[in-house]
Amino acid sequence: MDGARSARRLTVLALLFAGGAFAASLLVGRYPIDWSALADPAGMDRRVFLTLRLPRACMGLLAGFGLGASGSVYQTVLHNPLAAPDVIGVASGASVGAAAAILLGCGGSLTALLAFGGGLLAVGAALAGAGLSRRRDILSIVLAGIAVNALAQAVLMLLKLTADPEKELAAIEFWTMGSLADMTPDKLAGALPWAAAGLAGLALLRRPVLLLGLPDDEARMLGVPVTGMRRAALALATLVTGAVVSVTGLIAFVGLLAPHIAALLRRGGRPGMLLSGLTGAGLLLAADVLARSLAASEIPVSVVTSLLGAPFLFWLLCRREAAHE
Amino acid sequence: MKLYRRLAAALLAAALLVSLAGCAGTAPAAPGSSSAAPVSEPSDQSAPAAETADFPVTLTDAAGRTVTLEARPETLVSGYYITTSMCIALGCEDRLVGIEAKADTRPIYALSAPELLELPGVGTAKEFDLEGCAALDPDLVILPLKLQDAADALDQLGIPALVVNPESLPELEQTLTLLGQAAGCADRAAELVACNQETEAFLNDTLAGAEKPVVYLAGNSSYLSTAGPAMYQDTLIQLGGGVNAAAELTDTYWADISYEQLLAWDPEVIVIVPGADYTKDDLLADPQLADLTAVKEGKVFAMPTAFESWDSPVPSAMIGSLWMANVLHPDLYDFDVFAADASDFYSRFYGVEIDVSQLTA
Repeated sequence: MDGARSARRLTVLALLFAGGAFAASLLVGRYPIDWSALADPAGMDRRVFLTLRLPRACMGLLAGFGLGASGSVYQTVLHNPLAAPDVIGVASGASVGAAAAILLGCGGSLTALLAFGGGLLAVGAALAGAGLSRRRDILSIVLAGIAVNALAQAVLMLLKLTADPEKELAAIEFWTMGSLADMTPDKLAGALPWAAAGLAGLALLRRPVLLLGLPDDEARMLGVPVTGMRRAALALATLVTGAVVSVTGLIAFVGLLAPHIAALLRRGGRPGMLLSGLTGAGLLLAADVLARSLAASEIPVSVVTSLLGAPFLFWLLCRREAAHE
Repeated sequence: MKLYRRLAAALLAAALLVSLAGCAGTAPAAPGSSSAAPVSEPSDQSAPAAETADFPVTLTDAAGRTVTLEARPETLVSGYYITTSMCIALGCEDRLVGIEAKADTRPIYALSAPELLELPGVGTAKEFDLEGCAALDPDLVILPLKLQDAADALDQLGIPALVVNPESLPELEQTLTLLGQAAGCADRAAELVACNQETEAFLNDTLAGAEKPVVYLAGNSSYLSTAGPAMYQDTLIQLGGGVNAAAELTDTYWADISYEQLLAWDPEVIVIVPGADYTKDDLLADPQLADLTAVKEGKVFAMPTAFESWDSPVPSAMIGSLWMANVLHPDLYDFDVFAADASDFYSRFYGVEIDVSQLTA
């Protein structure tokens, strides 16, 4: 009873944090928006708010929540605290897609599409490979993921080799650092349906996915079709991650850190998707606000998410040990 | 400064078309030719009336986008160093309210328009600052092709954006013309394009029968990186009367080669680009390269760094070709003539008296 109440209180706190970061994301930027002029439909203030500021904040919310929530799914389903989108190849698959698009000289929307396709293809290959193995356990999924990952990295290296170093290679490298700087309503509209569908699916499967965190035979005893459910959960989490990174580029550590931060805040117990998602959203939005205001030019958001998240995780880690003593 | 620039521009414009003297070097520069008929439109004086008449204008930019400008843009943002330099050359730098980041790495700004260094930066080609750009409330934003997405976003904000792609000599001239039309300085752009074409013709004539040495162009990041025929740098070598040692490369960008490759090409001349991260001494001190003909005969030259990246399609790219012609064929194109031509160019289009000692290899 006590735990449930504190979990609820934590969720409310995380909601406030994410909401505050979202508000800051709407308020902070290079353009001095005159809020009283926002009602004027022809004014530049309104256009800047609607086509730049609002989509960027919404994408930050969606991306942070999506990465945090799907990160917790990966970690739960794979019984692995180190599991992140990279483990089963989403990130490297998406990078290959994006790199190919950059080399072909495609614009932003086609790059996003190819990145999305690359991510899904890589995870599809990993899951299919794991399905071929006689032991349909977690290890085979992780190993198949490692194989696909290695393959994708090799292709990525080949693509980088053919890229010219100052323009295309720089663009590829920059894509892998992630950014919300050039977010527009179109890009948001491209990612939103897929990410929302994936999140809705995960929300529906919330209970069986949590049970997948138990050892396989226990989960089976509780009536969970372990192999099928695991694949479904991974596919849905991949849909979310793929949709997000296809428009933002790779955003480091949010998917890995947010569930751990959530778990440590709860002091034990597995964090739900909601808490991980809200933590991720708050983390990413706060990082993005800093990314756009720390220096004269934009800083890639991954730099800031890592700089923010890593010390926080460290602090929580130290606190946890003290509590156990 | 401004008055002086105008005077100089008017004087030099008067000498235009009379001979190539004001532009490309003809060995006997024509001091007596001032009696000839003055040029039709010396840009600065007659410009404003003609320029307002040019608007509204509808243009197709390098990305195939349609750009409509109702009136002459009074505030400009340039997100690309080549177009910022073009704005100086076209005389509309005083209308710039924002330029690309890292402006302090472009010596020509400090020389010709130091006030540009005080302007707010609008980011790089990787991370363009859309909000910061909108905050400057520009009438026109000029962007390179790789920032096409940003141009589309600016469209949605109702800010006209012009996408340019100067990668070759013809594209440089197209870009000048396009920018001239968009910014309302078409006459000045035509003047600069004409000057470029005259210089090109002059170089082709002067170097027609000359024996063409094999030139290796040592690139920015390392002297083992070089430019193949697909790049503007190849044009630079050809215009200067040389043959590109890297003619066999198919890369469309700077390519890394090996020591062995360079030894096999054994160029007669090595030219180091202005943006090199190493010095000529670094190259000469490399024992692996000691046996190269160019090194043994002392034919290693570093392009001057005090002006612009002459190995890129910048507005003064032709001065780079003239420099190359002087280095490769000093007998056909004397240094003093080159120095006079370069001085004329920079005084005419950039309003600066350059220090000719900085022109030496």
